[in-house]
This record gives sequence, structure tokens and C-alpha cells, in this order.
Amino acid sequence: MGGLASVLAPIAFVNETVLRLGRAVGVVAIALMVIAILIQVFFRYVLGNALPWPDEAARFCMLWMTGLMAPTAFRRGGFVAIDMLQRFLPRLLGQSLNLFLLLISLIVLLVAVNIGWSEVTGFGGRFATAALYLPTSFGFDEWYRIPRSWMMASLLVGIILLISVNIELILRSLITMLGGAHLLPEIPEAAVGAE
Amino acid sequence: MLIWFLPTFLVFLLIGLPVFFALLAAPGILLWLNGQTNDITLLYRNVYNGMDSFPLMAIPFFMLAGELMNRGGITIRLVEFSQALMGHLRGGLAHVNVLSSILFAGLSGSAVADTSALGSMLIPAMEKQGYTRKFAAAITAASSVIGPIIPPSGIMIIYAYVMGESVAALFLAGIVPGIMVGVGLMVMIKFMADRYDFPVASRKYTWDERRQASLKAFFPLMTPVIILGGILGGIFTPTEAAAVAVGYAFIIGFFVLRTLTLKEVPEVLSNAGMTSAVVLLLVGAAMAFKTVVSLSHAPEQLASLILSLSENPFILLFLINLLLFIVGMFLDAGPAIIILGPILGPIFTSLGVDPIHFAIIMSVNLTVGLATPPMGLVLFVAAAVSRERVETIAKAILPFLAVEIIVIFLITYIPALSMTIPRITGFAN
Repeated sequence: MGGLASVLAPIAFVNETVLRLGRAVGVVAIALMVIAILIQVFFRYVLGNALPWPDEAARFCMLWMTGLMAPTAFRRGGFVAIDMLQRFLPRLLGQSLNLFLLLISLIVLLVAVNIGWSEVTGFGGRFATAALYLPTSFGFDEWYRIPRSWMMASLLVGIILLISVNIELILRSLITMLGGAHLLPEIPEAAVGAE
Repeated sequence: MLIWFLPTFLVFLLIGLPVFFALLAAPGILLWLNGQTNDITLLYRNVYNGMDSFPLMAIPFFMLAGELMNRGGITIRLVEFSQALMGHLRGGLAHVNVLSSILFAGLSGSAVADTSALGSMLIPAMEKQGYTRKFAAAITAASSVIGPIIPPSGIMIIYAYVMGESVAALFLAGIVPGIMVGVGLMVMIKFMADRYDFPVASRKYTWDERRQASLKAFFPLMTPVIILGGILGGIFTPTEAAAVAVGYAFIIGFFVLRTLTLKEVPEVLSNAGMTSAVVLLLVGAAMAFKTVVSLSHAPEQLASLILSLSENPFILLFLINLLLFIVGMFLDAGPAIIILGPILGPIFTSLGVDPIHFAIIMSVNLTVGLATPPMGLVLFVAAAVSRERVETIAKAILPFLAVEIIVIFLITYIPALSMTIPRITGFAN
């Protein structure tokens, strides 16, 4: 169990740090989404001149917000599940089931990361976004058209973070099964849902 | 063989696999066994394309607007306004609780936000007036389900997106059922108040006092007017209306009422972002799941199975309500809609049920499920807010659930209740 705990500690530290950074970027992303759409509303309805970029920029931010913030929710038990069976099962059986479910999730994520990588680096990712540009000079006279792969990378990054969280949860589950639940650092719970 | 993904999915769900993974694992395994490995890539693409959507952006925006309103001291103004109107009645605070939920529903669209915001304020106040804690928690939980029925509504945005329906039509169709739930609960409170001699909350307010209370609540009460007025008037899309609601809530909380501080904003953004991220991921997975649903011809096979039970739409609607109610007891409304919408929607549409009407039946039924034991989400929130046991609240809520079940059947068998407003306004046929 000591070995597992020493493997868990650095993974938990990395997850904690990276996900905190992810949440910070996610907060900026959701604020930018609102600003982009409000700019669009102002230009379209007040000035009568719709801009080409706000809708796409807002979607760009929303995808990154999702990729960077969903892993925190997963880590905090915020992914919706019917966990009644686990609660009713005897302790060890319930914990084994939990481990089994985490392993299925890991398989899904590993398949997804494989496909995600080929999607981002493949044909679809080579296209450019419709209206997103980055200035590449201080005089704003040179612009780089953002490739679609930058948007697609949001899901890939999200899956990679989910894998990292999943591995941490598997280790926590193993330590709990071996009777070391009291050694585990607490993870705050998240209440999430559209309800 | 592909049809087997549905039982596989159910097994995954029942053993406790998170819905997001179950939505991908079950079809993925079957596609792999079927040798359709290219379609697994299609699943991934559909998750991404499902999330990359402008209409879906309304979800984080409405959540954000609700959070900002709540932090901005708006809840207390709604409660004061409700008290000025109904506090003098017998069972006054219970009526105030329901009316506040109806008004709050026009701002937030979330039953959880309603229970935690109104519950933390009204449950202690009701206890102080002599109501039992279980009753106070039960009426708070029961009335909170109005939140996602009256527009704006997170789950209706999800339904509209997943099923390709009009958000505006669903919003409009939810108004009457939401008010019916509220009025039904008030009738039940009146009945109980007379029987158990509930206290009155306050003296009768003068019209001048009522005018002052309504002035204080004016800005929050304008939110649904801006949202619905903007959408109906063709001024905004629902997503733009939601962004405007965020801007409006921020200006009201920060500049007009001055109850919102800059320090609170990052936490508000973080809460809304994290909640939305999970929902968006789920919707993406649902779009992938939906592809396999159509590939497998499951709706057609299920339709013939259902039609073999009966061909009478009245009986089938009864059975489907029963199924939805049972599902709602175990699963939250959002995921349930995501899972069942693509399967059940086409079946009932082919039976001649209007898609908007069916959407409302499903949304209201599953929303009521949020307050049903054993897994009702708002029951747990009410228990946390009131520090009462879930089992105790679950018993106390039964009379109110009975009212809500009656409303479900009324809107099921009288389509005009939900369809009249969208039809009059030209948003439904």
C-alpha cells in the first residue's frame, strides 16, 4: 500500500496543479464567451453590422472551457451515474465494482485519445477556422489564420486530463480496497447538472 | 446485432458507470464486435461536433445568469415581493415559497439553484413560524421543480438541441405547465393549511407597500421579459438572449443593487463553467449515441414492440409516463432526456403526438422525478439545506408529488395546455 501511496502522491499533485490552471483558463474562457456574444449582439442589433468572428470565437472558448473544466468535475465525482448498486453491495464488492467501472472508463478514454490524436493531426485538423485570426506583429498588419486543429485539440486535451484523473481515481480505489482510505487526501465534491 | 447496444448500455448504467462513458462504451463495443471500427471514429467525431454548437452555448450562459442573480441579492427581493402578495394567507410562507419558485424559475431554470437559494432562506423562516422542518423542506423541494419547466430551462435547451426542435417553442410550451404545478401546489397548501391550522406569515400588506415591494423586485422580474421578449420578438436567438441575461444580471447585481462584488465573480464563473462542462460533454456523447441509435434501427424495433402492447395513443402515453416516472426516480432529468429523447421521441411523433407536446410531457415528468425518492437530486439538496433526513422529506413530499402527477396527466391528455401559447405565437404548428 505504501508503494501505491507513493505513486499516487505525485499524480495527485500534478492533477491538482494542472486542473487548477485549467479551471483558471476555463473561467477566462467563459467570461470571453459572454463578451464575444455581447459584442455580436451590439454590432448586429445596434450598429446593424454583424461581425464574422464572435460566434466562432465563443465556440472556441466553450470547447476549451469544456476540455479544461470537465476533468475537475470528474475528479470531484461530478459525472452523473446511478451509484445505487455500489451503495447496496457489501463494502469489498462495491469497491471492486468501482474499480471495474474505472477500468472501463479508462479503456473508453484510451480509445478516444488514440482517435483524438489522429483527428487533430490528420486531414480534418489541417483546415482553417472560418474567421479566427491571431496578430503576428505588433503593428497588427500580419495575421495568422487559426487552424481548426486548435479547436479540435480542446477535446483531446480534455481526454488526456480525464485519463490522468482516471489513473488517480484507480489508485485511490486500490488503496481504499487495501484498507488505506484514511491515508487519502480529501477531494471536494462537485454538484453539477443542468437541473 | 447492433441492437444489443441498448441492453449493454442499460447494464452499464445500472452497475453505475457514469452516463458519459456508458453512452460511448456500449455502442463502441458493439461497433467493434461488428467489425465497424471506422464508425468508432465517427462516434468520436460526433462527440466533438455535438459540443461545437452555438445553440448549446445558452446552457453555460443561463447557468451563469442564475448564479449572478443569486449572488446579487435578487432572491431576497423575490421572496419579499411574494410575501407582500401572499404572506397574509393561512399557510402564508408555504404559499410564498411556491410563488418565489415560480418567479425564480423565470430567472434561473434550475431546480437545484431554486432549492438551495430559496431553501436556505425560507426553511429556517418557516420553522420559526411553527411549520415542521420536514414540511418546509418538502414544499421547497416540490416547488423547485417549477424551475426547469418555466423558461428559461437548461433541460429544454438540451432537448431542443438533441432532438432538433425549436428552443423558443419549448420555452413557450413550458409556461402553462409550470404555472399549473405552482397553482396545484398552492391548492394543496390551502387544503392542508385549513386542515392543520397553518400560521399566517404577516399582516395584509397595503397596496402602497405592495407597490414598493414590486419596485424593489422590478429589475429581477424584468429578466424573463427580456429573455422571452427578445426571443419572441425575433430580436435575439436564445443563445444571445442568454448572454444578454448574463450582462443584465451583472449590471443589476454590480451597479444597480450593488450586492455583487468583483471578488465573487471568479467563483461564479467557475461554478457555471464546471457545471456546463459536464453537461456539454454529456450532450456530445448523446449526439454520438444518437447516431448509433439510428444506425441500429432501434426506434423502429422498439416502436413495433410498443405498438404490440397497444395501438391506442392514450394508453401508450400512460405507459410512457409510467416509464419516465420510474426512470426519473433513478436518473436526473438532463441525462434521462439525453438518453431517452432520441429513442422515444421518433416513436411518439410517428404515432401522431406533436414533437413539442411530447418534449413537454417528457421534460415535466422527468423534472418531477428530481423530487422523487430514492435518487431525486433536489431531495438531497433540500436535505443538505434543511439538515433533515432525505427519507423524512421523501415522506412529507408525497401529497405534493400527487399534485404534480395529476398535472403530468393533465398536460399529457390535454395538449392545448402546453401547445396553445407556441401555436398562437407561431412557434408550433
